[in-house]
Amino acid sequence: MASIELHSVGLDYPIYGAQRSFRKELLTRATGGLIRRDKDSGHVVVRALDGLTLSIEHGDRIGLIGHNGAGKSTLLKVLAGIYHPTVGRLVVNGRISSLFSISPGLDTDDTGYETIRNCGMFLGMSGTEIRDKTDEIAQFSELGEFLSLPVRTYSSGMLVRLSFAIATAIDPEILLLDEGLGAGDARFAERAKKRVDDLVDRASILVLASHSDALIRNMCNKAVLLHGGKALVYGPVDEVIARYHELTSEAKP
Amino acid sequence: MPEGNETTPALVVGTSIIRDSATWSSGDVDTLSCVFHDTVTGIGHWTLWSRLGWAEVRRRYRRTVVGPFWTSLSLAVFVLTMGLLYSALWKISPATYLPFLSSGMICWVLVSALMTEGCVAFIGNSSLITQLPFNLATLACAVVWRNVIVLFHNLAVYIVIALVVGVDVNLNTLLVIPGLLLLAVNGLWVCMILGLLCARYRDIQQVVTSLLQVSLFLTPIFWAQDQLGGRGHILAAVNPLFHLVEVVRAPLLGKAPELLTYGFLLGLALVGWTITLAVFRRHRHYIAFWV
Repeated sequence: MASIELHSVGLDYPIYGAQRSFRKELLTRATGGLIRRDKDSGHVVVRALDGLTLSIEHGDRIGLIGHNGAGKSTLLKVLAGIYHPTVGRLVVNGRISSLFSISPGLDTDDTGYETIRNCGMFLGMSGTEIRDKTDEIAQFSELGEFLSLPVRTYSSGMLVRLSFAIATAIDPEILLLDEGLGAGDARFAERAKKRVDDLVDRASILVLASHSDALIRNMCNKAVLLHGGKALVYGPVDEVIARYHELTSEAKP
Repeated sequence: MPEGNETTPALVVGTSIIRDSATWSSGDVDTLSCVFHDTVTGIGHWTLWSRLGWAEVRRRYRRTVVGPFWTSLSLAVFVLTMGLLYSALWKISPATYLPFLSSGMICWVLVSALMTEGCVAFIGNSSLITQLPFNLATLACAVVWRNVIVLFHNLAVYIVIALVVGVDVNLNTLLVIPGLLLLAVNGLWVCMILGLLCARYRDIQQVVTSLLQVSLFLTPIFWAQDQLGGRGHILAAVNPLFHLVEVVRAPLLGKAPELLTYGFLLGLALVGWTITLAVFRRHRHYIAFWV
């Protein structure tokens, strides 16, 4: 049974080179966290997560809600094992799959088929698994003979279709999703929705970071409201979304 | 998924990676055996690092006609011109000097590339490290593998020279294989620790590059240590770069490397890996922030 447990997990995010362009770093990385200077090293440190205690069970569909920089993406990266908690304890049972940014490790000189092989391998698929799924990925991406051409010749929409088809071909146990921009056309968005639904159905646990109320209502059965790296509320989706809107209106004078 | 009046389009897509169950806690519980296990797992992902290594080689020489043989060609030009010049300067027969210089340079290219590319092993893969829980040892393996691929291309130059001047091929030549293994075992920890240090302190890369430039002349590559007499032997014996080069060069020339070289490299591997694992135990989790 898949499960995730966090016991007062905290993460201090060190920022280097902050002396030179402090403001820029601040804007891009951490508009929400508590910024301070580390006593020992003198580096700027952002407290990105602070005392998070959550327990996520098999079958949970968790939505992460919060302002920009509230710690949503950082929490996803901690769950994925990319960042290591500075304090606290994190126990993950189950295989984790994360879909964060658009195709890391993408070489635009590779052909579509090579990209399927490379990205599939980064996704953790075995050689046979990739071979088995290539046809299905090719079909979903509707790229046809373009798959034999270098990816750099694709339009951005075509590239999104391909990356999307590859990424959603996995069989995840714990699925971490970060919402972002999509570039598919209207018809593709419709098909993409169905494919993501299928993907989520295959997973035992979903953790989704999103700003969209509708998306969270649709896909999640629980939600966490993050603010300044802390979990303010953890509970039923409607309750948490209501609290989020209160928080937003409080912030406005 | 978004509906009707919502402006959000499809979910982002990208890559993901699947891992087995894991437990993390803050620093103190992270034992040396965890690091050891991670490293061994990373080395075990050979399908991944071999693909990464090849991909980088292909990327560099994409759409060129001779591909990776470009390094071999430039090496051939260097070895032939310098070889003929130096053999004239020092009045050595080109038939003995050219095989010595070419085998030495081929090994030197491998050793120095491991160090310079080890510096960017993690920085250069920041998109992978910050988006996926990527195993760091796998990335270091990819650097080593890529340079072994380059070595095999460069060997063509040596084989041609060796055939022309008639280098002795005997049982000692087989020692190339254990030699390369020893070099790779040492190269791997060098890549890992330099990758980590350079991710944190960006100046180290510059230091390594400039030191390597001097080392090329201080290490017996252009000259044989006998030419310096006793001092040459001492200079060579304490120079790890010499042993790293010699362990492959001597077999290529049909000679067995001295036991000192094997002993030195085994010791270097032991000390190096101990330090590397100890440093990784404390600092590897910061690499995602540093790159």
